Amino acid sequence: MAEIQFEHVVKQFPRQASPAVNDLSFTVNDGELLILLGPSGCGKTTALRMIAGLEEPDSGDIRIDGQSVVGMAPKDRDIALVFQQYALYPHLSARNNLLYPLKIQKISKQERQHRIDQTAELLKISHLLDRKPSQLSGGEQQRVALGRAIVRQPRVFLMDEPLSNLDAKLRTHMRTEIKTLQQELRATMAFVTHDQAEAMTMAERIAVMNGGRLQKLATPDEMYKFPANLFVAEFLGSPPMNILPVRQMDGHLSVPGGWSIPEPSRTKAPAELLLGIRPESIRVVAAGTPGAAPASVIVSEPLGSEVIVNVNLGETMVRVRTPPDVRPRPGEIVHLQPDFDGVRLFDKESGANLRS
Amino acid sequence: MSAVAEQQTRVPSPTAGASAAPVQQQTVNRRRPEQGSRQEWIVVHVLYLIIVIFFFAPFLWLLTAAFDGDAVAYIRWPAQPTFANFTYVYQNFHIGRALANSLFISTATMLLSVVLVSLAAYSLSRLEFGLKSVVTYGVLVLQTMPLSATMVPIYGLARDLHLRNTYLGLILVHSAIEMPFLIWLMKGFFDTIPRYLEEAAWLDGRSKFRAWWEVVMPVARPGIVVIAGFAFLNAWSEVLMVIILVDDPGKSTVPLAFYQTFRSNGGYNEVNYGLVAAVGVIYVLPVIALFFSLRKMMVRGLMSTSRGL
Repeated sequence: MAEIQFEHVVKQFPRQASPAVNDLSFTVNDGELLILLGPSGCGKTTALRMIAGLEEPDSGDIRIDGQSVVGMAPKDRDIALVFQQYALYPHLSARNNLLYPLKIQKISKQERQHRIDQTAELLKISHLLDRKPSQLSGGEQQRVALGRAIVRQPRVFLMDEPLSNLDAKLRTHMRTEIKTLQQELRATMAFVTHDQAEAMTMAERIAVMNGGRLQKLATPDEMYKFPANLFVAEFLGSPPMNILPVRQMDGHLSVPGGWSIPEPSRTKAPAELLLGIRPESIRVVAAGTPGAAPASVIVSEPLGSEVIVNVNLGETMVRVRTPPDVRPRPGEIVHLQPDFDGVRLFDKESGANLRS
Repeated sequence: MSAVAEQQTRVPSPTAGASAAPVQQQTVNRRRPEQGSRQEWIVVHVLYLIIVIFFFAPFLWLLTAAFDGDAVAYIRWPAQPTFANFTYVYQNFHIGRALANSLFISTATMLLSVVLVSLAAYSLSRLEFGLKSVVTYGVLVLQTMPLSATMVPIYGLARDLHLRNTYLGLILVHSAIEMPFLIWLMKGFFDTIPRYLEEAAWLDGRSKFRAWWEVVMPVARPGIVVIAGFAFLNAWSEVLMVIILVDDPGKSTVPLAFYQTFRSNGGYNEVNYGLVAAVGVIYVLPVIALFFSLRKMMVRGLMSTSRGL
C-alpha cells in the first residue's frame, strides 16, 4: 500500500478563466480513506484524475510512496480507479472484465482463478460472473467495477463518485460495504463525492474543496464542530449551520431578534462578524427563560427521529433541530435559547472561522 | 334455454363473462378509430405499394430478362426460358475473371479502408492537435468534390506511377474515393463511445494503442461493419475510375464487363437485353448476399451512428 502526496499542484484547463485545481497540497496516508468533498466544478475530480495520470498537473508535484508520478503513463502507476459510470467493458462478461487487468499483469492461471473466486465471494457476485454488463443492474455493475479494482491489488484505490448513480437505499448500503472493504484490505483510498452525508459517514479525514482550493482537511468530527470557514459551515451538515448577522456591543454580541451572547476572547477583531450555530445547538424553551428570544414558526419538518423547525428569528430564517414530540404549528411563537458552546464566529469579509 | 344463453352473452355473469368482457371492450375501442381512418389506411397502403413496385421493378426485370432468350426492355414472363444468356456472357465477356477481380479488389479496398478510416476517425475523435478543426472540415470538403473533375489528374498520376491496369491502383483509388465520408461517419461513431472505457483500460495497464484495439474497436464493431459495407459496395459498383484506369481485359471488373455487354452488338443502337440482364444478376447477387448476411449489424451500426452525428 501507499501514501499519496500533493505539493502545490496547479491545473489550468485551456479556455477556462480560473484554474481547476489551485495550489493544492495534502497527503493521503498509507491505508487511509480520504474523501475529497465539494460542489460540482470544485476540482475534486480533476485532482483524482491527476493521481491516476489521466490529467497532468501544470506545476507542483504528485508523489506516490515518495516517488514523483508526474509524466508517468497511467498504465505504469499501479492505480485502480472506479468510475462514476462504472466503465465496465461492455463486450466482455463480468468474469472477463475482472480477468482483463490480471491478464495484462501476466498473473498465472491458478493465481488469477484464486483471486477472482476470492473477490467474487467478497462482493457476492459469483453468480453474475458469466453475464455481460448490459445484463446487470446498476448495483451489480457497481460491484463488478469494484471487483475489477480489487482483484488487481493495486497500490492505491481511487473512487470517482461511485455511488451517485445508485438509488438511495443501495447507496447507503454500499457506503457501509466500501468502508468495511477498505478497512479489511487496509487500502489507501481517495474517494470523490459531492454528498456530504457520504463524506461524514465514510471518511477517516475529509478534504473540502471549493473553487480549486483546499478549504480544510480534517476528521469528520472536527470538520463538523469547527468548520474552518463559512463555505465549510454551510456545505457540511443537513440542514447546514445557521448563519446570523451579529452586532458587537461592549462585551456582548447581539443577534437581531433578541439573543445576547458573551463575546469570546479573540486575537483579531474584524469590523463585521457572522455567527454560526448548528440546528442542534438551539433549544426550544418555555417563555420567560432568561436569554431566550421569541421566533415565529414558518414550518415544521418531521423526520421521524427528529423535527426540523424553520423559524424566523428577527429577519433571519433559522433551522432548529427538536425532539420528535416538539412540533409547533406554522405561525406559532416559540422561544429559542442558544447553546453558547455551539456558537462559532466568522469574519464576514474573508469567511474565516475566528476560533476563540 | 336460448333466452338464457342470449342473456348471458349480453350481460355476462361475473364467472362466465370475466374473460369475455375485456374482449368486447377491446373490439369496440379498436373499431372506432379504425373506421374513421379507413380511407387514410387505403391511401397509405396504396402509396406503399407504388413505392415498393417502383423500387422492385428493376430487379424483377433483371430476373425475368436474364432467363429470357428473347428479352425486351420491359417486364414480362420469359418468352423463351433459357440459361443461354449466362453461358454466353461467361464464355464471351471474361465474366468469371471479372467477378474474381471485383471480389479481390473490393475486399482489399474494404480492408484497407477499415484500417485507415478507423485510425483516422479515432484520431479526429480523441486527439487534440493544432488545426484540428481545419483538418476535420478539410476532410469533408474533399468529399464534396465531384469525382469526374479529378479524372484527368488521377489518370496522369496512375500512368506516371505505373498503376494503370494494376490491382493496387484500383484498390488505392477506390479506397480514396469514399474515405472522407467514411472518416466522418466513423468519427461520429467513436464520439458516442465514452472515454472512460479506454481510460479504464489504460489504468488496467494497457498502452493507448492496445486499449484502442482491445476495448474501443470491439465496442465500435457495429460502426466498423457499416464502414466495411460501404467501402465494399463502393468499390464493387465504381465504374468511372475502372474505365479510365483499366484497358486490359484481364484486369476488368464486373461493372466494366456490364458496361461492355451494352455494346455486345457493336454499338448502343441494338442492345441484347438478355445478356445485359444476365450480367446484371451476376453483378447484384453478391451484394445482396453480403447485405443479408450483415444486415442486423449494418442496421444497428447505422442507427447508432446517426444518433452520434
